[in-house]
Amino acid sequence: MSFLHDPQFGNRMITLMAALVLVLQISMVGQRWLITNIRMFGLQSFLLAAIAGTIAFFNHANHVYIAAGLTLVLKALALPVLLERIVARVGIQQEIEPLINVPLSVLISGGLTLVGYIVAESFYHPEETSAPAALGHNTLAIAIALFLIGFFMMLNRRKALTQVLGLLCMENGLFLAAISLTYGMPLVVEVGIFFDVLVAAMVLGILVYRIGSTFDSMDVSKLRRLRG
Amino acid sequence: MVLLWLLLVPLLAGPLAFFLRKRPAMEATNVTAFAIVLALAATLVEQVLRSGPVSYWDGFLYADALSSLIVLLTAFVTLACSIYSVGYFRHDEQNTVFVEAEDVLGEMAAYKLRKYYSLTPLFVFSMLLVALANNLGVLWIAIEGTTLASVFLVTFYGRETSLEAAWKYAIIGGVGLSMALFGTILTYYAAHQIMGTDTLAGLNWSVLVVNAAQLDKPTMRLAFILILLGFGTKAGIAPMHTWKPDAYSEAPVPVAAMLATGVLNCALYGLVRFYILTSKSLGPQFASQLLIVFGLLSMGVAVPFVLVQRSFRRLLAYSSIDQCGVMVVALGFGGPLGVLGMFLHMTFHAVTKPLLFFCAGNIQQHVNTDLFRKAKGGLIHSMPWSGAAFLMGTLAVTGSPPFSLFQSEFTILRGAFGGGYVFSAILFVAFLVAIFSGFLVHIANLVLGPDPGLPKGEICRWKKYSVLCLASVIIVLGFWIPAPLYRLIQGAAGVVMSAP
Repeated sequence: MSFLHDPQFGNRMITLMAALVLVLQISMVGQRWLITNIRMFGLQSFLLAAIAGTIAFFNHANHVYIAAGLTLVLKALALPVLLERIVARVGIQQEIEPLINVPLSVLISGGLTLVGYIVAESFYHPEETSAPAALGHNTLAIAIALFLIGFFMMLNRRKALTQVLGLLCMENGLFLAAISLTYGMPLVVEVGIFFDVLVAAMVLGILVYRIGSTFDSMDVSKLRRLRG
Repeated sequence: MVLLWLLLVPLLAGPLAFFLRKRPAMEATNVTAFAIVLALAATLVEQVLRSGPVSYWDGFLYADALSSLIVLLTAFVTLACSIYSVGYFRHDEQNTVFVEAEDVLGEMAAYKLRKYYSLTPLFVFSMLLVALANNLGVLWIAIEGTTLASVFLVTFYGRETSLEAAWKYAIIGGVGLSMALFGTILTYYAAHQIMGTDTLAGLNWSVLVVNAAQLDKPTMRLAFILILLGFGTKAGIAPMHTWKPDAYSEAPVPVAAMLATGVLNCALYGLVRFYILTSKSLGPQFASQLLIVFGLLSMGVAVPFVLVQRSFRRLLAYSSIDQCGVMVVALGFGGPLGVLGMFLHMTFHAVTKPLLFFCAGNIQQHVNTDLFRKAKGGLIHSMPWSGAAFLMGTLAVTGSPPFSLFQSEFTILRGAFGGGYVFSAILFVAFLVAIFSGFLVHIANLVLGPDPGLPKGEICRWKKYSVLCLASVIIVLGFWIPAPLYRLIQGAAGVVMSAP
């Protein structure tokens, strides 16, 4: 099992998984079914946990294991279950109606990925830093792309729940950025952020539920009473 | 020790109120807890003025003049709000505002009051944690905590519109704060490069500020932009201000007052901390320009909405966007005068804004609307105290002499001309004048005029005395600033100015 001690192998695994994360993100933009979207988000979070675990293993950074475990339990399991239960409770239509059609949305996501790479380029100083920082290069670009595409998803969709999903994708991007730049934040901060994300998801879930039952729809474009 | 108690008191008061259930007990818990917090804040200020920054728990909690100023203002505002809310919610309960269609057992009022009195201390806890956390990551967590604790306070009345307001508040705040988190991560990355530690200290402000000059410049540039957008969303800087009028007009009045002062100060506090780091690393020029542009934009955006506003609750929200712009511009002008002006303005604004909200709340409860059109005018005849105080507060908050906001705005202007920002200063004055005229016309029409023959208001002592107390504080501050308070404000400006 000598390849398990080869940092090059670890690097390739991380890049591969990060690429899969990006693919999932772009297919979420193209996907029209809400439940599938939620499951894709769960899978994406699972891959993130795997990336964190790999980084922890190859860099002997033990506190990252905790972040990986929390991601696995909260984002890959708890949140998708919570969101699916909301979908079942509200009994909403399954189909997402994006404002911009699917081919164009996917094209825009591709453009945003490019932006991610351009921004990440400015952090890449191979001559100054050691090898582990070079690992950040690809992953950071993907993290920024996730953040931007998540934001685009929020703008592009009208259902309350899909906006929550977009916000969670942005958070996933941030997690990937933190992991790839600095092997995660200090532990107290990391745990605090997880707690915040969980509570935020619950708060938004309750709001989605109440919007769904009050307006008989989760279409946030119907929330137009307050103006001026 | 005092730092720990400052956090523990509100943190314990929340669950305590939750289990007490009875209305008088919950009211007493809240008022007592916030009175203790104010006393502790005064102790903290005294300690900081006497012997410099205080820290606790290996520097996990840390308070210098800047943070103790924020703590003091937060404590003052929350105490005023908790006193006012006693009268406010009793009035609501008597007038069966809480009753909803599906409320068969009549338990809605008890449930809602319980929610308010147990969530508010947690809300205050997170505001205090923002100011007292040394770690910038914990600061972010606490700011997110203020959003999470207050979302269900915004939905308090359970109307369709309050649901809409809470949704905008939560989702726009969530996006903004995720940007701020990105900025925090980048700052940590920059610090990680020079210090190479994985420990908590890598994000501690007291450590970072010493090493700020060596932080990687491109990273800090991007980090500051993200932080400005992120905490700017929370503070309500244009163009991320759109949640503000909705949340302020739908939330119960005490909550709106806390959002407009406490949360605003906390978000600006976070911005100031990162501004110090950025200007040490990049020089003040970069951050200043961004701050001036966004600040002036906020002031400018507020102008048309103030001029044609139909609702006095929303009018206050736009005034708050304008005031936030003033503070951000002042920070951008920089220099000793600009920064001093900013903190003076923050202090005076935190004292004046709650008064306006309380008066607006009294009027809204009396005439059952927040629209100028339906309220007709001449309210000073039926509510002499609230009407007069509303007019006085309006003059104060728009910066007319002799009130203290005139002094702070004048200081900021002197800073602007001193720093050579002539064009910005001219815009600054123009926006202030436009808002002054719009605001004053609206409020004067509401308060003055012939008697419409409404029944006499202001029966409730709690509401009347909280308005009168705040009004007298404002009048006193217009002529005399207590020496310790002024030294504290100077100290806070000193924390920022020691940067370059």
